[in-house]
Amino acid sequence: MVVRVTRRLVEAVVLLLAVGTIVFFLEHAVPGDPAVAILGGAAAHPTKEAVAAVTEQYGFDRPLIVQYGDFLGGLFRLDFGESYTLKQSVTTVIAGQIGPTLALTVSALVIAWLLSIASTLLTAGRPGIVGRLGSVLETVAAGLPQFWLGLVLLLVFAVQLHWFPVIGSGVLGIVLPALTLAIPLAGFLGQVTRDEFEDKQQQPFVLSARSRGLSDRAIRGKYVLRHAALPGVTLSGWGLGSLVSGAVIAEVVFARQGIGQVLVTAVSAQDLPLVIGITFVVALVYVVANILTDIAYVLVDPRLRHTSGAAA
Amino acid sequence: MVRLSLRPFVVAASVVAVVTLLSGCADGSTGAGRDRGPVRGGTLVYATDREPTCLDPHNSGDMPQTYIARQYLDSLVSLQEDGSVRPWLASSWTISDDGKQYDFTLKQGVRFTDGTSFDAQAVVDNFTQILDPATQSSTDLLYLTGYFDKATAISDHVVRVSLKRPYSPLLAALSQAFFGMESPKAMARGLAANCESPVGTGPFEVTKWNHERDVELVRNDTYNSAPDDAKHQGPAYLDGITWKFLKDNTTRYGALSSGEADVIFNVPPESEGLAKSDPSIELQSFVHSGSPFSLDINTQSAVFSDIRVRKAFVHASDAKEAVESAYNGVFPYEGNNVSSGTPHYDAAHHEPFPYDPAAAKELLDDAGWNGRDADGYRTKDGRTLTVKLPYNADSAETPPADVTILQDIQAMEKRVGIKVVLQALDSSSMNAVWGDPKAYDLLGNYWNSPTPHVMYIKYSKATYDVDNGQNSAFAYDDELDRLLIEGTATTDPAKQATAYSKAQALLSSKAWSLPLYPIQTRLGISERVSGVWIEPSEGEPVLSDAYLIDGGK
Repeated sequence: MVVRVTRRLVEAVVLLLAVGTIVFFLEHAVPGDPAVAILGGAAAHPTKEAVAAVTEQYGFDRPLIVQYGDFLGGLFRLDFGESYTLKQSVTTVIAGQIGPTLALTVSALVIAWLLSIASTLLTAGRPGIVGRLGSVLETVAAGLPQFWLGLVLLLVFAVQLHWFPVIGSGVLGIVLPALTLAIPLAGFLGQVTRDEFEDKQQQPFVLSARSRGLSDRAIRGKYVLRHAALPGVTLSGWGLGSLVSGAVIAEVVFARQGIGQVLVTAVSAQDLPLVIGITFVVALVYVVANILTDIAYVLVDPRLRHTSGAAA
Repeated sequence: MVRLSLRPFVVAASVVAVVTLLSGCADGSTGAGRDRGPVRGGTLVYATDREPTCLDPHNSGDMPQTYIARQYLDSLVSLQEDGSVRPWLASSWTISDDGKQYDFTLKQGVRFTDGTSFDAQAVVDNFTQILDPATQSSTDLLYLTGYFDKATAISDHVVRVSLKRPYSPLLAALSQAFFGMESPKAMARGLAANCESPVGTGPFEVTKWNHERDVELVRNDTYNSAPDDAKHQGPAYLDGITWKFLKDNTTRYGALSSGEADVIFNVPPESEGLAKSDPSIELQSFVHSGSPFSLDINTQSAVFSDIRVRKAFVHASDAKEAVESAYNGVFPYEGNNVSSGTPHYDAAHHEPFPYDPAAAKELLDDAGWNGRDADGYRTKDGRTLTVKLPYNADSAETPPADVTILQDIQAMEKRVGIKVVLQALDSSSMNAVWGDPKAYDLLGNYWNSPTPHVMYIKYSKATYDVDNGQNSAFAYDDELDRLLIEGTATTDPAKQATAYSKAQALLSSKAWSLPLYPIQTRLGISERVSGVWIEPSEGEPVLSDAYLIDGGK
């Protein structure tokens, strides 16, 4: 277990360095001049003198390799610098926005699991229309585009029915944006859980449990689900990461604070320090989520507690 | 200034269907009470589409900055729709006979909300900060560079602005919130602090900026410097304003119709019909002064250096039809190089080259584009008549309705044999396109400016020489320069009208641009609110006279 986590951490550091380097050079490969972007973009028509002053101020005229050296130095000091456009330190900007994003994505993940478990328990492996209906619902849910789903939820439950606020702040306000992200993910989770569930239902241990007189409900809920959940658990690490990077859609539609919105603005404004800072945070979420997935895997599957111990 | 945003019509057809289905069960909201005149109290929720990157409008200079800055900054003078100005922080002013010296006498007893006193030195300090490269100003410098010499405090309450040459648009320029007066003590904190919480003498003050969500403003209880044309003097009626950022069109309109917002900026064109049929919503709109949204024609490009081809391009596009269909008739068509909201606008030049495909074909034949390629496009010496039109792929910069207009024009040009190539580019690639005569033949552009001098800003030798992309047609004309300088050299409205009218005639005859529609400020206002108005310099919403009719109870 310890070895596993340590290996994950080393991988994480290498990964983050690679991500930082790629983003750094990608941003410099983009045509426009960051000094122009700082001055409001070319459509704001900054004067040549103003562009020259900003270029000098931020050192954009220095050789790229020198700028890269500076950038790496900053990374090792965990100093992401100051946002070009917002004039605040990147750490402050992210600290102000990460809370709402994490609250949204974690709620979405929890809701996605609840929905997919409910769908699996109620319909998976059932004969006839019930089983097929569950399967169809999951496929449809998995295919729903989030921006469309968000707008439909907004129009129906907030604008028309007034059950939830249009602007997503407060406890009640998180429901619709979280559902927007959760429903498609629940579809994915449900699909893999269902396949596994139906497969495991044919296993001898189910027959033996049944022969011991266990009720169908107990077999489904206690035995089969535990097996069927494993692929879903693996998917959750990826799921959380993709929720964070996809949060921007729910954030824009429901006007929530969050790093997704900041990232989109930062990319189009060529705000390198901010882009790197947020990319790092998203990469970090993937890393942490994967470590948590590993742990969750062991908790769900007792067999691994021994094998991983032996491997250590 | 440039760039406005109309967030996407992301609304898929199915969503529209949902609205239609549900509008049947919309609750008939009862009136929120009767308006018995101004009452104090309550916080107004204002929701807009774009969030500024800095609350100090001296920095950069994008439209969202001026709209919010108007709430906490006062300017020296207040612009009227006819282009004249009335007293504001300056109670009077004199202009020297040579037009190069402006002496402003300032209101006395005015204080910034940090307690600093507003005096002549404060005005000098504001010009110093605007000109300081560390402020990273774009818009303000466009109005000052080449004209502004220095500002000096003559006495405690008289400040002199000295110019290098006569410049009558100065007063109109200074009326914009882009030139709002800020506290010298606050400006000394540096750009980072000033961006977060600029300090002015205005009716409200900034208390907190919750990035990506809202800016909280509270009333300045000692406000005593309202402009002459305000509806009342003294402190604002509202306790405060929550200035929210709701980028998504559906959300913003939904916030208004559900009562979560009291006023929204930029009513989505697709919601205009709903809003009109809703008795609890009032619509106010204002046509900006300046240059309309246009496709500027690069006169240095291989094909458009020939005026016959430029004229043919304009004749071939049914711009009126394209605008009206893309914007459901909500946006009017404008074919002049300045918008109808511009002082000294001359309607005679509304449509210099009306839709006339036959004329277009004749001009192209005449220009030697007689051949045809396999796809039916015209050719000359084996080259196809191709023009490229790059545009920003970000829907906040190029709303889907604008893309529809571009595609319509592409189809219209095809009928006369011109091949228009649309190139969707990201923002930073677009930054590299501006100013590069090889990068485009046509470029979508608009310019909000409170004066007809915008023609000089866009098309003059001086701005061509500045070489920063603002002269996007890469064109100038000596006679046009002369007429526009004549306009800036006089403060006599009659002489200005003559000069600017001639300038419009000459400019439209050049076919340097295909004008499409004027930029507008469009507000949706709930029946709970009264007293909102739009000022004419930059279409800034004014909330210092606004009140909630129930006092926020």
